[in-house]
Amino acid sequence: MIDFSLPAELELLRETARELARDHLAAHERALEASRGPDDALLGLAHEMGLARVELPESLGGAELGALARAVVLEELGAGDPGAALALDPLGPAAYVLAELGGPEALETFGAPMLAEPGARTLLVYDRTPRLVDSGGKVTGRFPWVPADRADLLVVLEMERAYVVREGIALEPLRGAGLRSAGAGELRLDDAPIAASWVSTPATRRAHARARLYVASLLVGVLQRAFEYARDYALERVAFGKPIAHHQALAFLIADLATAIDGCRLLVHDAAWRLDQGDDAVEACAAAFVECCEQSMFVTPNALQLLGGHGFMQDHPVEKFMRDARALGLLLGGVDTAREDASRDLGDARPPVALTLGEASWT
Amino acid sequence: MDLRPDDATRERVAQARALGRELVRPVGLEADRLGRPTPPEHPFFEKLVALGLGRTRWTGEPAAARADAPAVGNARATLCVAEELSFWDRGVAVSFPGPGLGEPPVLSMGSDEQRERFLGPFQQSDRPRWAAFAMTEPGAGSDVAGIRTSARKDGDAWVLDGDKSFAANASRAEWIVVWATVDPSLGREGHRAFVVERGTPGLGDFKIERKMGLKAYESTSFTLRECRVPGANLLGGEAHYARRAGFKGAMQSFNATRPTIAAMAVGMGRAALDESLGFAREAGLLRDTRVRDRLERVRRRLRAARLLCWRAAWLADHRRPNVTEASMAKAFAPGVAFEAASLGMEILDVVGGRGDHLIEKLFRDVKAMDIVEGTGQIQRLLMARKLVGLPRDPGPATPPRA
Repeated sequence: MIDFSLPAELELLRETARELARDHLAAHERALEASRGPDDALLGLAHEMGLARVELPESLGGAELGALARAVVLEELGAGDPGAALALDPLGPAAYVLAELGGPEALETFGAPMLAEPGARTLLVYDRTPRLVDSGGKVTGRFPWVPADRADLLVVLEMERAYVVREGIALEPLRGAGLRSAGAGELRLDDAPIAASWVSTPATRRAHARARLYVASLLVGVLQRAFEYARDYALERVAFGKPIAHHQALAFLIADLATAIDGCRLLVHDAAWRLDQGDDAVEACAAAFVECCEQSMFVTPNALQLLGGHGFMQDHPVEKFMRDARALGLLLGGVDTAREDASRDLGDARPPVALTLGEASWT
Repeated sequence: MDLRPDDATRERVAQARALGRELVRPVGLEADRLGRPTPPEHPFFEKLVALGLGRTRWTGEPAAARADAPAVGNARATLCVAEELSFWDRGVAVSFPGPGLGEPPVLSMGSDEQRERFLGPFQQSDRPRWAAFAMTEPGAGSDVAGIRTSARKDGDAWVLDGDKSFAANASRAEWIVVWATVDPSLGREGHRAFVVERGTPGLGDFKIERKMGLKAYESTSFTLRECRVPGANLLGGEAHYARRAGFKGAMQSFNATRPTIAAMAVGMGRAALDESLGFAREAGLLRDTRVRDRLERVRRRLRAARLLCWRAAWLADHRRPNVTEASMAKAFAPGVAFEAASLGMEILDVVGGRGDHLIEKLFRDVKAMDIVEGTGQIQRLLMARKLVGLPRDPGPATPPRA
């Protein structure tokens, strides 16, 4: 029966991730941004803790705890610093592409080396245009932004296929709009050899869905942190004789922010739960991503607004929350590409059973 | 974690769907077309009673025995069924025979004797019976502390005087839970709940209001003029109010209901979405990205709304505080359902202007969901009290002159 409780082991996991996020990410978020990534000590600590491996198969030293466990961890790390969370995950959502398209062998061949030592970076880009052109097994082109200063492995997802590049990955540093704690660069490939490639539209969609859920989970964390920060400020800041949180215009706004975030989190957990039930959840993951992106542009600018002029200044982190949220929503093809996957079935020629309760195809 | 109703609940939902398709939807369309509530003598109600509907959930056990009742409640199942019935017609669902909103206060505040006397008849299924709940007044809606219907002790009896508004099923009710005040200056602490039985002298002037939508059930205003109610009909007896629990009694009944009302909005939004999808498909509109994107947004937000409802009900079932979560569901779902219906009208295009399409009916029906059982604004107040400790409004500095 309907039950929202997390298993005890996930509660423990959440607590562990929360401590790391609070003590090592949030506490140093401006330094992480300035240095464009975690230092060796933090990379080593994250490697040791193994939070990036909660969902991976045992053969890669993973815990196989499932999509919900991953979502819960990413939520916490996103609340710390989503850029740093990306930088601390050596394989990241690229693992889904390797697993869905290449299977266990590809995970072993390309994934395992990333996990051996702390500090590896894998890039996953969704190349729709395409900007990177494959000519006889060699790729050339520029991808305007990736949240990284360097990369050991590049996984490129297209609509119908995916491929892996290991050599010749050049990154030209950029300032970056957000997620600076992961670095920022323009990706430049010049006849870079493709190490492996696979063709399968259903598998690319499944991989894309899981990757979107990864980003959506980080977004939930960013939104929660932005909410808590702004709420706490609004309780301390006094204007017109009372805490600004007690003026109804802002009290109602705060209630709406909390509601929006809970809706996002529930959609993320619902999609993750479906994945853990064996459903490919392509539509649910895309919808969760779209909702998180849309609401992130309601929650983070309003969190900033609650701080007024202080929100615009960089002494407070809320402007960073807004930039990071905006940047997260640009990853993996962005929100419009996700809308396509979230609405594809609406165009199908079957009778309308949107959200029907109790049917075999439970949506 | 488990985000799927169990088999028993899905079986109940399937039954509600069959009932909805066969009876509820047609009766709702009929009431809307004729512009009147379904009359109590309508054969529809006899059919519902024959199906075993319209009974109380009171088990007949004394309150003391209820302490051993199962620790986990069934609000989740109730909510799933309510969502499905509202998919077919929410107005008709409210018109169903049974103790309705009168039941929660009798269950939570009433003595064993009162439960037996008032809910006992609802254990029968020989004929349709209704009960009602009356808090709202012409001058007191969201601000329930402001009710002015007076209760004056006179010997063993109480004398009620005042006006009540918008009480569902009131003119056909066997009894109405009427909220009154012994002293308006006491605010909520002056509130008392009485069961006023049909035919009590002084209870009258029933006026069935004309509404924009949800026409299938009656929303009725009535008056109490020197209306003498036996002392035995004061819910919980005087000792109950000595513990100053009067206001909490009323609010408790709301809290149990809010996620369910929100789920009804989800059901109505689903109906609008399904109809819109069907129409758009027929009209070849689903190739249009602009149309598909907006339908996608509605489906996604309805799913989020449903999850918010489920979570609030799950908390209630485990007797965990759910004020914030229940209000989130109630604040969020009606807006999404309205968006679904309004988008549906846009997809219908000028067909929506005719006034004879189900989506047009839903568009009129659904607005009520952001008003009943605490407006969206009241939900935000309740949330803000929990989230930022928003103080209760102290009220005017000087009391208004009489």
